[in-house]
Amino acid sequence: MVLTPDFDSRPVISFQHVWKTYPTGTEALRDINLVVPEGDFLFLVGPSGAGKSTLVRLLIREEKPTKGKIFVDGVEIGRMKRRKLPYYRRKIGLVFQDFKLLPNLTVYENVAFAMRVLGEPDRLVQARAAEALDTVGLAGKELTYPSNLSGGEQQRVAIARALVHAPRMIIADEPTGNLDPATAWEIMQLFLRINARGATVVMATHNREIVDLLRRRVVAIDAGQIARDDRSGRYHDDVSKSQVRAQ
Amino acid sequence: MYRNLKFALNSAWQSFWRNLAVSLAAVLSITLILILGGVNLLVGHAFSQVLDGFREKVSVISINVADDTPLQSVYSLQDQLKVDPRVAGVRFITKEQALDAFRHDPNNAVLAAQLDGNPLDAKIEVRVRNLSDVASIDTLARQWSGVDPTNPTNYQGDFVNRMLQLSQWLGYAGAGLLVILVIVSVVIVMNTIRTAVYHRRKEIEVMKLVGATEWFVRGPFVIEGVMTGLIAASIALLLLVIAYPPAVQQFKNDIAFIPLSYDPAFLSSLARDLLLGGALMGAVGSYIGVRRYVRI
Repeated sequence: MVLTPDFDSRPVISFQHVWKTYPTGTEALRDINLVVPEGDFLFLVGPSGAGKSTLVRLLIREEKPTKGKIFVDGVEIGRMKRRKLPYYRRKIGLVFQDFKLLPNLTVYENVAFAMRVLGEPDRLVQARAAEALDTVGLAGKELTYPSNLSGGEQQRVAIARALVHAPRMIIADEPTGNLDPATAWEIMQLFLRINARGATVVMATHNREIVDLLRRRVVAIDAGQIARDDRSGRYHDDVSKSQVRAQ
Repeated sequence: MYRNLKFALNSAWQSFWRNLAVSLAAVLSITLILILGGVNLLVGHAFSQVLDGFREKVSVISINVADDTPLQSVYSLQDQLKVDPRVAGVRFITKEQALDAFRHDPNNAVLAAQLDGNPLDAKIEVRVRNLSDVASIDTLARQWSGVDPTNPTNYQGDFVNRMLQLSQWLGYAGAGLLVILVIVSVVIVMNTIRTAVYHRRKEIEVMKLVGATEWFVRGPFVIEGVMTGLIAASIALLLLVIAYPPAVQQFKNDIAFIPLSYDPAFLSSLARDLLLGGALMGAVGSYIGVRRYVRI
């Protein structure tokens, strides 16, 4: 069954019968069908090893599907040539649990780095980096090194770097995994603001509180399959919660 | 393009200094290899100088003409040789000219004083284009009716053959040594750059995730490799330029009969070879070293 939300917007991401089996024989994803409309905010939830990270890796084309097709903006990324991948990734903003900041670069340099890689002129790099840092509330910390920042602040820098080239899609893999609840909530506010500006957000998370509070679209993955796709969902569905209570 | 090049140059320069210990180790190793390579080139050049001198001597074969040979027969052979494609030049030396030359050679002063009459043969001196053709001209001369049967030519087959073989083997040995040195250099640069890449793997991962092209990631490392190669080549060249004249002088003092000489003109081609070689080895080593990590 293809789970297609009844949204009016055009689909940005579409998984069609996607399977992923690793060379070790591990079947990470099985027959995934998923459509993400433009401007959607989607939580990928599920236990560790369920296949969330594999789905994210397929989406950023760090992995290719074993079977099936993945379309992003109408382009089948599984068959995309290697030399075209950098241009595809420039359309996406990526945020990770471990921030992936460069410790020998300052906050400003880390954010500007994503623009320098694109070969943008200095003046544009400066303006966009300043704007992105302002958006995440880090104006004034440009010259600080990541090691002198808190976890929340480091994640803000990572978000600024993901935003700086104005991508239409943000993919986040456990962005609040290393943060305390209050900081995690601040980071989520940022993602909500980015989504409100029109960017599509796909976020893999274990943070039950946040998912339950925000009541956005929730796609639950279990044992490599989509177990649930709720338009305004919770971390656990009501059935599994009642099962947990009964136990 | 310009901005990417600027980024690559800055990045390469920073990386070189940031990993100074590794960079210097690579420079030192490549310098030593390039010195060996340069010495190989210099020795090769010296040998070719010496061989050229010998070649010059043995590429001229003298055909001794019997006293009773009619002049017409001599002219006929001379004409035949002149149109032979193997021959670069032919000169006829009469008995009188031969004696005159003999008398004027200071080495023969004592002998010339005791000479009664003219025991020397008239000669046809043939200069061949290729040393390997001397033997066939010698055979041709021996079949000629007018040749002095007791002493037909001055051809020393064994000597020429040995020299030809020697020069061939020296060429092979030099080329073989150069190939080994090039491979060793490339492996050294490759491992140095791989160490630098390993230190910077996180940066490379981030670069790839934010959409850097393979060449954007690879460029700084290739430039760093070229820089390493050029610095090493410059040091090697400087040391060789300093050491070359005294080494030649020492050689001349020790082994006077080998006509070796200092050739400043060769230094420009040595500089070109070392700098180009160093840059190329640096580039190739880096390209291979970085490949595994850069693949998107």
